[in-house]
Amino acid sequence: MVELRLPRNSTVGKGQFFPAPAGAKTVRTFKIYRWTPDDDKNPVMDAYEVDLDAIGPMVLDALIHIKNDIDPTLTFRRSCREGICGSCAMNIDGENTLACLKPIKSMEGDIMINPLPHMPIVKDLVSNLDGAYAQLRAIDPWIQADSPPPPDGERRQSIEERAKLDGMWECILCFCCTTSCPSYWWNGDRYLGPAVLLAAYRWIADSRDEHTGDRLDSLEDTFKLYACRTIMNCTQTCPKGLNPAKAIGRIKELQVERKL
Amino acid sequence: MNAPVSPRHDVMRSQLGRARGLGSGHSGTGHWIAERVSAATLLPLSGWFVVQMFRLGGADYEDVAKWGGKPLNATMLSALVISSFYHAEVGLQVIVDDYVHGKAHVPAKFGVRFVTGLLGLLGVVAVLKLALGRPASKA
Repeated sequence: MVELRLPRNSTVGKGQFFPAPAGAKTVRTFKIYRWTPDDDKNPVMDAYEVDLDAIGPMVLDALIHIKNDIDPTLTFRRSCREGICGSCAMNIDGENTLACLKPIKSMEGDIMINPLPHMPIVKDLVSNLDGAYAQLRAIDPWIQADSPPPPDGERRQSIEERAKLDGMWECILCFCCTTSCPSYWWNGDRYLGPAVLLAAYRWIADSRDEHTGDRLDSLEDTFKLYACRTIMNCTQTCPKGLNPAKAIGRIKELQVERKL
Repeated sequence: MNAPVSPRHDVMRSQLGRARGLGSGHSGTGHWIAERVSAATLLPLSGWFVVQMFRLGGADYEDVAKWGGKPLNATMLSALVISSFYHAEVGLQVIVDDYVHGKAHVPAKFGVRFVTGLLGLLGVVAVLKLALGRPASKA
């Protein structure tokens, strides 16, 4: 039925405070979500004062500094530190983005860092994305063609056909968009979410793919596709500047086109 | 030191099995079109209704009943009532989909249809009574 309150074990408490070292001049406070499955305690927000003169410019630099020099128990995912792997996706100052692409100085006051919203938490800032990955797998994100490829090379595309994939192949599957979507929070078990629908449209729009109709068939569903309410959080939050809402709109247009 | 308690799993079905779920319902496009078409038809109908209400402002019961009894006005009024409640039905279904989960979901969806359908019918019957009933002015 309708849920109006957080479950009791999701209420976030106040955590520890780690003051800046003496003599630090440019100090910012990072309030970071902490939760571990090892005890039965509720999550807390730990506060870390960080000397910005000692670290690089991005939020990820601050997180690495905290883990290396202040509190080694802090857990988060990161890899490429240049916005191409999607590992460090998290909610920074209320917005889902990549910690490695978010400049600390673009924000005012204390900086709140939470895991991606409304996903199960593995530990601290690491959310469990297994469900979203499985949804991606479920739309068959690979080329499906029955015609054999030319014996002497790859399947060819015109420049115009290839251009239709721009704005979609760049998606790095960080799931900032999917976890920012209220429709996904409400119906994430049935709604595919913007990242997966963008991937689905990437294959629908691919001139080399021959299963467009099957793809549209499998998306024709009150929830899988149509739980999108055009809220547009996905497009607003995408750290790569992509437009999942537009891709979803195009899928709906194609569904209408083949019906009327 | 407590021995680690292995977490209890209520669902052990694979993530892919859960993601595929029951498959596509093969519907939704019709509903999506209905939302937009009913909204579009409401624009001119509501505009017409507002203009008529300004024209009839201050008129007494007899005049309004006579106005509503004319075939063109009765047709437009019925169309307005039907479009409004159809649009309400289609729109409220979306709210039910968003906020009502579990066992209450299906009854809530049928409940919305039943209530909006009944209210719409009531509106149409009222218009028909005006149009087909005994003219009020010839008492």
